[in-house]
Amino acid sequence: MKIWLLALAALPLAAQQTTPAAQETPAAPVASTPETTITGSVDLGYRFNSVGGSLDAFRSVVDTGSGVRLLGLDLTIESATRKWFDRIDVRGSGWGGDPYTTAHVDAARHDWYHFNFDYRDVAYFNFLPSFADPTIGNGVFLDQQSFDSHRRMMDFDLELLPGHWIVPYLAYSRDSGWGRGVTDFVNGINSYPVEDRPRDSTNNYRGGVRLEMKKFHVTLEQGGTTFKDDQQVFTSNQNFGNNTAPLLGEQLDVTNLAQAYGVRGNSIYSKALLTANPTPWLDLFGEFLYSRPDTNVNYSQYNVGQFVDLTALLFYTSELDLLSGVAKEPHTTANLGFEMRPVRRLRVIESWMTDRLHTASSAALTQQILTPAMTTLLNSFTSLLVMNYNREQVDVLFDLTSRITLRGGYRYEWGNGLTDGALLSGSPTETGRLKRQVGLGGVSYRALQKLSFSVDFEGSGGDRGYFRTSLQDYQKARIQARYQLRQSLVFSAAFSVLSNQNTNPAVNYSFLSRDNSATVTWTPNNSKRVTLTGEYTRATLRSDLDYIVPQDFTTGKSFYRDNVHEASTLVNLLIPGFGANGPKLSVGGSLLRSSGSRPTDFYQPTARFSAPPYKHMTWYGEWRYYGFAEPFYLYEGFRAQLATIGVRFTR
Amino acid sequence: MRADNRISRSWPPRFASAPPPPPGTRPFRAGHPRALVIAAAMYLVTTAAPAQTPPADSKPATYAGSEACQVCHEDIYKAFQKNPHEVVEKDKRRGFETRACESCHGPGSKHVESTSAADIRNPAKLPVAEADHGCLSCHLNQPTHVGRIQSGHARNQVSCVTCHAMHKTDEELVPRRRAAINAECAGCHTAEWASFQRPYKHKLPEGAMSCVDCHNPHGSVFPHSIRTASANEPACINCHGDKSGPFVFDHAPVKLEGCTTCHEPHGSANPRMLTRAEVRFVCLECHANTPVTAAASRTLGGVPPSFHNLLSPQFQNCTVCHVKVHGSNVSQELLR
Repeated sequence: MKIWLLALAALPLAAQQTTPAAQETPAAPVASTPETTITGSVDLGYRFNSVGGSLDAFRSVVDTGSGVRLLGLDLTIESATRKWFDRIDVRGSGWGGDPYTTAHVDAARHDWYHFNFDYRDVAYFNFLPSFADPTIGNGVFLDQQSFDSHRRMMDFDLELLPGHWIVPYLAYSRDSGWGRGVTDFVNGINSYPVEDRPRDSTNNYRGGVRLEMKKFHVTLEQGGTTFKDDQQVFTSNQNFGNNTAPLLGEQLDVTNLAQAYGVRGNSIYSKALLTANPTPWLDLFGEFLYSRPDTNVNYSQYNVGQFVDLTALLFYTSELDLLSGVAKEPHTTANLGFEMRPVRRLRVIESWMTDRLHTASSAALTQQILTPAMTTLLNSFTSLLVMNYNREQVDVLFDLTSRITLRGGYRYEWGNGLTDGALLSGSPTETGRLKRQVGLGGVSYRALQKLSFSVDFEGSGGDRGYFRTSLQDYQKARIQARYQLRQSLVFSAAFSVLSNQNTNPAVNYSFLSRDNSATVTWTPNNSKRVTLTGEYTRATLRSDLDYIVPQDFTTGKSFYRDNVHEASTLVNLLIPGFGANGPKLSVGGSLLRSSGSRPTDFYQPTARFSAPPYKHMTWYGEWRYYGFAEPFYLYEGFRAQLATIGVRFTR
Repeated sequence: MRADNRISRSWPPRFASAPPPPPGTRPFRAGHPRALVIAAAMYLVTTAAPAQTPPADSKPATYAGSEACQVCHEDIYKAFQKNPHEVVEKDKRRGFETRACESCHGPGSKHVESTSAADIRNPAKLPVAEADHGCLSCHLNQPTHVGRIQSGHARNQVSCVTCHAMHKTDEELVPRRRAAINAECAGCHTAEWASFQRPYKHKLPEGAMSCVDCHNPHGSVFPHSIRTASANEPACINCHGDKSGPFVFDHAPVKLEGCTTCHEPHGSANPRMLTRAEVRFVCLECHANTPVTAAASRTLGGVPPSFHNLLSPQFQNCTVCHVKVHGSNVSQELLR
């Protein structure tokens, strides 16, 4: 409106220009129409790929290919009129065949709405014979649990009236996966690697309202999910499986298989969140979360070949299985807490949490051996899984000085888990109990912004855990420090340790992990010419645990060792003599060397050169190398060189 | 009445550098005398400790308006125009209209007169709890902060301004680009970021994910500030919905202790981000055939039997047969 008024006001001035006298007068100011501005950048490039060694391992680890790519898109649209939106941000990367394709749109109009959309398509390839290949000794390189699949995630979020007292919102998200792979069909004493077509999707709808008042806030949300899994497993080729030894003179095989999973699920869930500060010295929070997912299953299996039922010592050639099942899992989680500041230097934080789920399921399985014709067997199953977890924690924080804060606390965790007993254990159920009393402590020191460090410790005498490897008698500590020597030079370091013991003589578990890392960042002259970041991490892990070797019932020891050195660096250099917008060179990369149970070397050096021939355009070239080697699995090593040339347009 | 007034001035003690609260907000104060007996005891202790020297002039400062700040702090003022907090300049709801600078720094009339840094509240130099209170006077009653006070960041005195740059651009205030988010987190969590240099990891360095896809830096009901999905499931199922269940036959650790029982979510040198080099060791650590009953050890999954010959390659990878290791809808032994 103001623009039109200005334009109207300028009309008489414009009319005066027709007179000769007016030609001598200075030109009248013309009302400029505000324009919507678009700023940002677009990266287009071509990548060349050269891989030596195992292409499957390369695809399992890196998986980038050759070709033209939209490597990056980052645009901001700012509206001049602000009629429909104030600003829209659009971002994207990896379009054109990269394994990680992303898109993001963020749009907002102040006081009216905030909308965002996120999209990701991640190619998920995994073919590593070292993972699951029982036939590798026979020279067959086949990961029997491999896949070449995609996972696609989409999220839409719309928030109305942001910044107001009452804020309604709606959201939808979808997660889906599909592809192909190899899995095993298990029958009797044999397993057969066969083709797999996984396909699943989950839709999640939710909506709610936030009430943001001066003294409290409440969020109420109601949502629901639908799920489906239509995995299909099949083969039409003769397959002798992993156990090729004849049984009583019979060679087991499968010649035809069709397994179809028809799984449908849905869930209704509710969420209530609360924060409040009823008095200036007390903050409260609480949440109540409830979900009730259900699953309905219709499974069919038809297999033809030579099979054996060991319980009846019966050989048969075709079978049809049908299963119908249902599972329900009401799940309740609640959390309450407060922060109280009884005096200036003291804060008391108390929180309580409970998490309870109860899965009950049943299924009816019809098994019919078709050839030779046998009586149909009908089996029914029930199963349950119960978890009741509770946690109570109190922390006391005391500001010893304005720079030093001491922390102390206590956490008590208790609960129980109930599940089906192992098949031959003689008990229908197994119960695990959790009881853990944990002492907490720490100190934070913050000397302005130059130096800060914090120390955290927690330890537990441990009593019971759900599993043999659960945290029992454990100590955990972490120290972090940061020192800014100069405005442009910052050092930081972190150290963490976790020690866990389960001294039960039947378990004899000992676990110790340490992580030490140091980082330096150097940005002289406000990063105008040179920047350098360097990082080194040393991580060690030791785990010893007893188990009984099933074939001779002797005690074996499961050892795991990991001793990792990781380093990464990046140096950015503005080539001298070309000004602030001149050519730039970046050199760096990372290396990993680990020894222990699975020694691995992984090198990723990289270099990038960019030069702007014009103000809004930059040419660049990038080289990246991947070197991957595992001494125990030499057949999975690879060396890959990726070269990318591209152009970036900026505005 | 007089007695009440006297108490309200001397109790609870205010931070020396904290200004009077702006209209419509509540001051950050310690407890009320009627709250707890322990509060009185602690008050005696803490008032004995050296306190910050109050300003010589006891006359309270008043609001000077953002334009007064602009005169000296032109660069910050300009940068602030691109900051989402610029809307505070028009915020009648909380009484900050034309006082955006002072909404965080407190009334600045004394500072305008003296230009002394001692006469203005500088959140960067305050104890973390006090500095954060400035932010929380507006942001506390929002869903983001439901779990804040029990989060690791709050306990470790990680201030809001550690991650959020108040005076700068939108992106620096709240990083939204994945690379920027990851860089922000990696600044402190160096060892975790180093794990992403391992061969098998979630694709953070590639820009397909960011730390906040899985963690809520403001806190969560779950340990390690793991985000929730579908009300009370861990955020893992946002992308791995097929592992969520419920299954007709669940695998207990997935529900009881979560994905990290078997996987290293940040990265591993082991395929599938497993915690051990080979699958059988992951499984055998629980399914160890130990000859104690479950009741004696009070743990799940350790009881016999297992009759597999581990010397045979066929049984050296459990998932070759137990293909539905996350849970099965057909087989109790997770075979199909």
